[in-house]
Amino acid sequence: MSGHALEIDAITVSPGGSPVLRGLSLRVAAGTRMALVGPSGAGKTTLLRAIAGLAPLDDGAVRLGDRSLRSVAPHRRGVAVVFQEPRLLPHLDVQENVALALRAAGVRRAERRAQARERLDEVGLGGFAARRTQGLSGGEQQRVALARALCGDPDLLLLDEPLAALDPNRREELRRLIVRLQRERELTTVVVTHDRAEAAELGQRLALLLEGRIVQHGTPSELFERPVSAAVARFFGVANLLRGEVRGGLLDVRGAQIEVPGPDGRATLAIRPEHARVDDACALRGIVGEAVYAGTHVKLVVDCDGQRLELHVPPAGAPSAGQEVGVELPRERLWRLPDDDEVAVS
Amino acid sequence: MAESRLQRALGALLAAAFALPLVVLVVRAFADQWRAPALLPQVWGLRGVELAFSGEAAAAFGTSMLVAVVTTALALVLGWPAARVLGERRLRRPAFAFLLLAMPLLVPPYATGAGLTEWFLRLDLTDTIAGLVLAHLVAVLPYVVVVLLSAFGPQVTALEEMARANGLAPLQRWRWVTLPAVRPTLAAAAFLGFLVSWSQYGSSLAVGGGRPMLPVVMLPFVRSDPQVAASLALLFLVPAVAALALTARAARSPL
Amino acid sequence: MEARGAARLRAERRRTRLALAPALGVLTLLFGGALAGAARTSFVPLGGHATLDAWRAMFDDPAFGDSVRFTLQVTVLSTLSSCALALVVALAVRRRSLAVRAFLSLPVPVPHLLVALTAVLWLAPGGLADRALGGLPLTLVRDDLGLGVVLVYVYKETPFLVLLLLAAMGEALATREEAAAVLGAGPAQRLRWVVWPAVRTPLVVGAIVVAAFVLGAFEVPLTVGPSYPPTLAEFALQATQGDLLAGEGVAAATLLLTAAASTALAVLAVRLAKDVSGG
Repeated sequence: MSGHALEIDAITVSPGGSPVLRGLSLRVAAGTRMALVGPSGAGKTTLLRAIAGLAPLDDGAVRLGDRSLRSVAPHRRGVAVVFQEPRLLPHLDVQENVALALRAAGVRRAERRAQARERLDEVGLGGFAARRTQGLSGGEQQRVALARALCGDPDLLLLDEPLAALDPNRREELRRLIVRLQRERELTTVVVTHDRAEAAELGQRLALLLEGRIVQHGTPSELFERPVSAAVARFFGVANLLRGEVRGGLLDVRGAQIEVPGPDGRATLAIRPEHARVDDACALRGIVGEAVYAGTHVKLVVDCDGQRLELHVPPAGAPSAGQEVGVELPRERLWRLPDDDEVAVS
Repeated sequence: MAESRLQRALGALLAAAFALPLVVLVVRAFADQWRAPALLPQVWGLRGVELAFSGEAAAAFGTSMLVAVVTTALALVLGWPAARVLGERRLRRPAFAFLLLAMPLLVPPYATGAGLTEWFLRLDLTDTIAGLVLAHLVAVLPYVVVVLLSAFGPQVTALEEMARANGLAPLQRWRWVTLPAVRPTLAAAAFLGFLVSWSQYGSSLAVGGGRPMLPVVMLPFVRSDPQVAASLALLFLVPAVAALALTARAARSPL
Repeated sequence: MEARGAARLRAERRRTRLALAPALGVLTLLFGGALAGAARTSFVPLGGHATLDAWRAMFDDPAFGDSVRFTLQVTVLSTLSSCALALVVALAVRRRSLAVRAFLSLPVPVPHLLVALTAVLWLAPGGLADRALGGLPLTLVRDDLGLGVVLVYVYKETPFLVLLLLAAMGEALATREEAAAVLGAGPAQRLRWVVWPAVRTPLVVGAIVVAAFVLGAFEVPLTVGPSYPPTLAEFALQATQGDLLAGEGVAAATLLLTAAASTALAVLAVRLAKDVSGG
């Protein structure tokens, strides 16, 4: 089956009376996964609810393939939603929960149960068909919810923080399952999460939502390594922002001259902590204020005469707090923010 | 250990003290002769039951049942939307609604019944089933709403939303999601409503003097013939117990 | 755009009011109508002009004063004893099995009239208790003090109050008690600082319901109460059975007074409960 593209065109949504989303637009290509990421309160869930028809549009349009969804009731949209909590019906067994959409469509009992069991096989719950929902673990319940969403053969799959309530191992399993099932079906999918790493792993493309606006969208590496603004940089953990005048391709950082890309003039440069290196041969020097072992790396906070820099370095041979070190900011890893104005907020 | 055993014994004793005295109703109903100082009847028999059914009690039983069932059904239909709004806390200032719901519980039913009689006389509603239902509704509706509202809240809303987003039409949502979710509370509300109407004395006496209800028929026998009174009491208890059993079943069994 | 959001909100509020309309409308109509009807009956005798005759007749009746005193006495005694007993019982059984609680709540669905009949069968002269003990130390049925009435109400209302209290003593309370215990609060302190604040509101609400019921019901005093003095509800009933035309007015006046009294009592109790929580 071929997917349908989702097009969101300048929608305004005000669930509590005042607008949470203002003129938001977004396009999700047919058969792809879009991860919608942002801090809590940014409007991610509201956007998902607007697509599903659970939150009415004040303005704008939502199209799925060549259909406008604007005045279509939620249950006729061909959309399926997996919520953060599984929301299983306690009075039905697992297979009837999975078959809910088929039952709504009037599919006969034997037929819909057979289909439900197929979906359950796919999510790895083959033997669970006749079980009650109460005894299931959180991860199992969420997989039942996923099977239920797929059972109605939707044109669009929406997932709202599907992994949030799970422990790390279950989370990894379910993430793989979601990606595999989506790929097999080429199902257009939007998944909401507040976790940037999860977003990168779940989405083929990411969209960052801040205060009701999409501030950047693109591939995961674009958002992680080439943020368009300081706010985006901060959300994706680009902890180091350097500001100043570039003269002759060099930026003065506390007396050290750093090679930077781009033309001369005012600039803000960003570099991820894992891309900065400790190198005592470098001119940029500072004192290690903090050295925290974080399992796979050591987090350093280095104070270079008032300019705070964060570095992630390998545990072997990592400096300790109080030590003086040189910091290398490799030119090819420095990213110059395209719009400089927003930095003033920092 | 000793203390917990003592506490357990105390709990059982308390429960027994409240539950056991009622057994005497059964003994008395089937005791044709029970002279002092015997602790058990000398002659068992059905005199009380026969006398109870020979009078107006049978008709009163029917009237009471009809009124209780109709009143409860009406209260559930009228009360459902209100219970939903109040349960979901959709009112910014619910104080007035709750005050109005509390008032009929504070004012004696005989008073509301007597007040309604003033109008029912003009509307030809005294001694009619409709009049009795309306009078009982004043007492039953608040109970039904107050019990039913606890069924609604974020959990039910979340399930309904899930159903909405996954392809269920409004009627299907109501039938397959809302109704099963609120079922235990709905059953409890229905049971309580039935009971309030079934044992209503004051307003029945006030508006239905010519159409006796079971409690009204029973009261005089307490002095004149305790055996008949006890038989009527059992008759009185049967639907209450049956309603309780039905409620328990409705609350538990899946659809 | 924002106007559209506001309009939607207004529509939602309209739907909310519409949902409340059937229940609250019917209640307002019937209940308001009943009060208006009672007021009319008490002030305007059938076909006549407005007078205060009914109210005057009520206050002039020597039985009225005795009735007020007796009713208040029975109400206060029944309510306070039920509340005290319910607190003790709830604390005793709150960790007990479901069976104990189920047994305990058996009287809740039993109509008052049946409880009154049970009391007569056990406690009347020549009743079961009399036979078993070979004589009763005091009269409890149709006694002048109304102790039989109080006993029936305590028996009937205590389980109801226990259910209310147990509902408030759920798991949330247990965790809070644990927290208090870990912080070093002894059993008495936990009772005072953790349990009492949690059960106070349901207890007050339950007490209001009980008091209002005792004030206005008359099947119990008719069955196990003394023939004199009557409770206010009995007084009203007797008025209608005497002089048919004037009696209705006196009855309505009495009932209105009872309604006002129980409402005032409720307001007072709610106030009192608030003061306690403030202090």
